[in-house]
Amino acid sequence: MSAEHNDSSSSILKIALNLTATCFISGVIIAGTYFFTAPVAAQKVIEIKQNTMKALVPQADSFKEIEGKKSWYAAEKGGEIVAYVVPGESKGYGGTIQMLVAVGKDGKVINYSVTKHNETPGLGDKATKSPFKDQFEGKSSANLVVTKDPSDKNDIQAMTGATISSRAFTKAVKQAVDEVVEFEGGK
Amino acid sequence: MKDSLWKIFKKGIIDENPIFVLALSLCPALAVTSSVQTSLTMGLSVMFVISMNNAVVSLTRKLVNPKVRVPVYITSIATIVTLVQLMLQAYAPALYQALGIYLALIVVFAIILARAEVFASKNKVIPSFLDGLGMGAGFCIALLAIGVVRELFGNGTILGFTVFGSWYNPALIMILPAGGFILIGYMVAGVKMYLTNKEKKLAERGEA
Repeated sequence: MSAEHNDSSSSILKIALNLTATCFISGVIIAGTYFFTAPVAAQKVIEIKQNTMKALVPQADSFKEIEGKKSWYAAEKGGEIVAYVVPGESKGYGGTIQMLVAVGKDGKVINYSVTKHNETPGLGDKATKSPFKDQFEGKSSANLVVTKDPSDKNDIQAMTGATISSRAFTKAVKQAVDEVVEFEGGK
Repeated sequence: MKDSLWKIFKKGIIDENPIFVLALSLCPALAVTSSVQTSLTMGLSVMFVISMNNAVVSLTRKLVNPKVRVPVYITSIATIVTLVQLMLQAYAPALYQALGIYLALIVVFAIILARAEVFASKNKVIPSFLDGLGMGAGFCIALLAIGVVRELFGNGTILGFTVFGSWYNPALIMILPAGGFILIGYMVAGVKMYLTNKEKKLAERGEA
């Protein structure tokens, strides 16, 4: 009886040790990998942001953060501001949509780049590519409205099967444009 | 011996294909297969995780107490998946974003735990690794097949390149989960037909 008892207690100790050792080893491995990959990942994030902005405003040669405005960037060419890159956000079909919108000094959209979204693959996520995206170029705030009328060439044509996503992306861009116009006007 | 190792590897590809025959891990198979690129990344990630995990489980099979084997397997799988995640995050952030939550969900894939329990915990390292590799390859091929069909008919492209011209009006249902379900159903039926046929032929040959 007592021998049996001893046996089971030692086995519980063994089991506990077994699990502890497993978790410890796993922790060491993950921490070790993280130590090496974290700086690379952080570097990648910055690089991607710079590249995204560069792709949005190709003629600019540097991007400077604007003081007093969180994550607003001024795209400069030869020390002169040519455009603004500002974050846009709205709620789409599958959650929050985040993007960077490049807006010219005249308040017209240059381009945008979606940084985070959860729209349906193959439907709503087409908003991240042309032809939907191409519609925005050169539009000012008044024309940033979604329409389903194919003959209406001034506004934004909704994507088939993804009206909610179309509206959400347009809203985010419009908001960014409005903010830039306000910022420019207030200077 | 070589012949049987090959058999261990091969059985995961068609005879015991995780998706078409064992019908395991169907949820992620639906969720990530709307484009070829995500299908392939997911398939390769699973292939890596399952073969590594089988090797680890097999290596430690004599040290792990049978009473806690499942928590140990889960910890091992979670560790490997986290490694894959960290690597993708650092070196392929775009893919990492595309896979989203499904990458982390590899931890609870039934197929990985099943192979650890059924095969790796009872076999030597090399056969276990090959078993994982075969199962992973089967999974990867299945995802790829589903992904190719869905992207082709649902979007008219393959890997983002336009295959059908602008005259093609994409069948939206193929991109949506419903289309995925229907497609997987047909594919399961197809594989079943093939296997039944093969069995019949084997039986006939055996009798003759």
